[in-house]
Amino acid sequence: MVHEMRTYPVQRVVTHAPDLKSFYFPRDMDVTPGQFVLAWLPGIDEKPFSVSGVDNNFLEITIKAVGPFTNAMMEVGMGQRVGLRGPFGHGFKLVGPALVVGGGCGVAPVRYLAQEMARTETEFELLLGVRTAQELMFRDEYHRAGAWLVTEDGSLGTRGLVTDRLKELLAQGRHSHIFAAGPEGMLLAIRDLAEEHLLDYQLSFERYMKCGIGICGHCAMDGSGIRMCVEGPVLSKQDLKGITDLGLPHRDATGARPGNSPGGGCR
Amino acid sequence: MTETDRPNPLRTTFAGITLETPTVLASGILGVTASTLAFAARAGAGAVTVKTCGLEPRKGHPGPSILPFRHGMLNAVGLSNPGVDVVADEIREYRRRNRVPVFASIFGRTEDEFGAVAARIAVAAPDLIEVNVSCPNVQSEFGQLFGTDERAVARITEIVKAAADKIPVSIKLTLSCPSVARMAQVCKDHGADAVTAINTVGPGMIIDVHTGHPVLSNLEGGLSGGAILPLAVRAVYRIKAAVDIPVIGTGGVEDLDGALQMLLAGADAVGIGTGLYTSGSGLFEELRGGLRTDLAERGLTSINELRGLAHGA
Repeated sequence: MVHEMRTYPVQRVVTHAPDLKSFYFPRDMDVTPGQFVLAWLPGIDEKPFSVSGVDNNFLEITIKAVGPFTNAMMEVGMGQRVGLRGPFGHGFKLVGPALVVGGGCGVAPVRYLAQEMARTETEFELLLGVRTAQELMFRDEYHRAGAWLVTEDGSLGTRGLVTDRLKELLAQGRHSHIFAAGPEGMLLAIRDLAEEHLLDYQLSFERYMKCGIGICGHCAMDGSGIRMCVEGPVLSKQDLKGITDLGLPHRDATGARPGNSPGGGCR
Repeated sequence: MTETDRPNPLRTTFAGITLETPTVLASGILGVTASTLAFAARAGAGAVTVKTCGLEPRKGHPGPSILPFRHGMLNAVGLSNPGVDVVADEIREYRRRNRVPVFASIFGRTEDEFGAVAARIAVAAPDLIEVNVSCPNVQSEFGQLFGTDERAVARITEIVKAAADKIPVSIKLTLSCPSVARMAQVCKDHGADAVTAINTVGPGMIIDVHTGHPVLSNLEGGLSGGAILPLAVRAVYRIKAAVDIPVIGTGGVEDLDGALQMLLAGADAVGIGTGLYTSGSGLFEELRGGLRTDLAERGLTSINELRGLAHGA
């Protein structure tokens, strides 16, 4: 399979907030939940995005404005061409009964995972956590799906951290698997809870990514050297063995690890 | 005699370095950290090369910087690297747990800077220092390729040899010079222990037909992959016919057939880069198994008996 670049006209833009939009493209590839695509704005840059939804006709990515590329994406309208290539990486293997957890920016990839779990009739419950109600995109859809909602400020659902609610749900013993996407601190807390409850888990991690095809080495985890763009970004308990840089500041575009910036945030 | 008592038929020695299998992870592929070098070593590489480093950290070009297409790949990464001192630490870290030989790769913005980088990488004691005088992706920044200028190559070879503290030195050659064999002779005359042939070719360009934009952010980039195998095989053949110097034959090897062509042309070891994408990280093991079987089928006991046979054909 060759991941050639092609540009596609944007079919639809959904504005969740001025700095948070979903873009619909013609569906031209088969994507597993958790896999990602590289999006290219000619003359600007190319960045990786997980797919937040797929239907018969469209592939959707959801982008938050956090830097030069994502800011430029906020100006993109219907019909404008954006480059896409992929899909890249290793996504979620759907098994149930599962607890599917999305935190912060992880709410986007988890949406496509939830769509596919429902379509394949895999048993699951959804748990979503954001800082404040306005950060929760696809809110109506998640309501209809009966998702558990948690906000740090109590503006929607239960007040608190996603891991607090997770502990309560796990105590009920209904699940055999946990799937999660979101900030690395949350993922590591979920890993610890899953270990404690003897559950299998699949977690979606982020690292600085350049080529997407496993040859530049920039997104490799320290320790085992596994590549987030090929063996990841979704990692199982087995995949996490030997990794030594969890929770550390991520390596940057030069390949060095910055000394003082905190790791594990969302792009 | 059991299988393990027999000498390893794939063992190869050049420039004082012994490889248990004649494959080398090419520079610029995976090798940015100790962990990625170890990943390639575990995958079965005979030696691993670190991504090219210079004196200062560089972010490289924005994306897209690596672009597969149906006949190969273009890249213009732009020599992103964390700087020679961080890379030296990565080499030391790699060495703590791995025995597969590790090659450094260096570049300089000036002839003298090559010497400074060589001296600072030499303290990490890599098994070989490869000198990248042929990266086609920073020409707009640095001007003419050093690798096309015999006088510059001669001087850089001498400077790096003097700074390398007895570590073997290989000069990585470009096809963008009138005669690659002549350039290999210049390298040998000025003290090089080996040459690596070839770097990516071109540069080339891919344009998105809908928007009219060249896709690489650098507009153009070096061509690699299967399309350049015949160019690389011919370069190795011409060098070996003219100059008595070890050659790491690199360029477009994606399967056993490509590796055999390189060895028959006279390569002492075979570099693998883009092939790790097109054929996957199982390629090193595939080549190891394939070369063993091929030698047995030819009734040969060592890879040394196969090397260069194309010259007598």
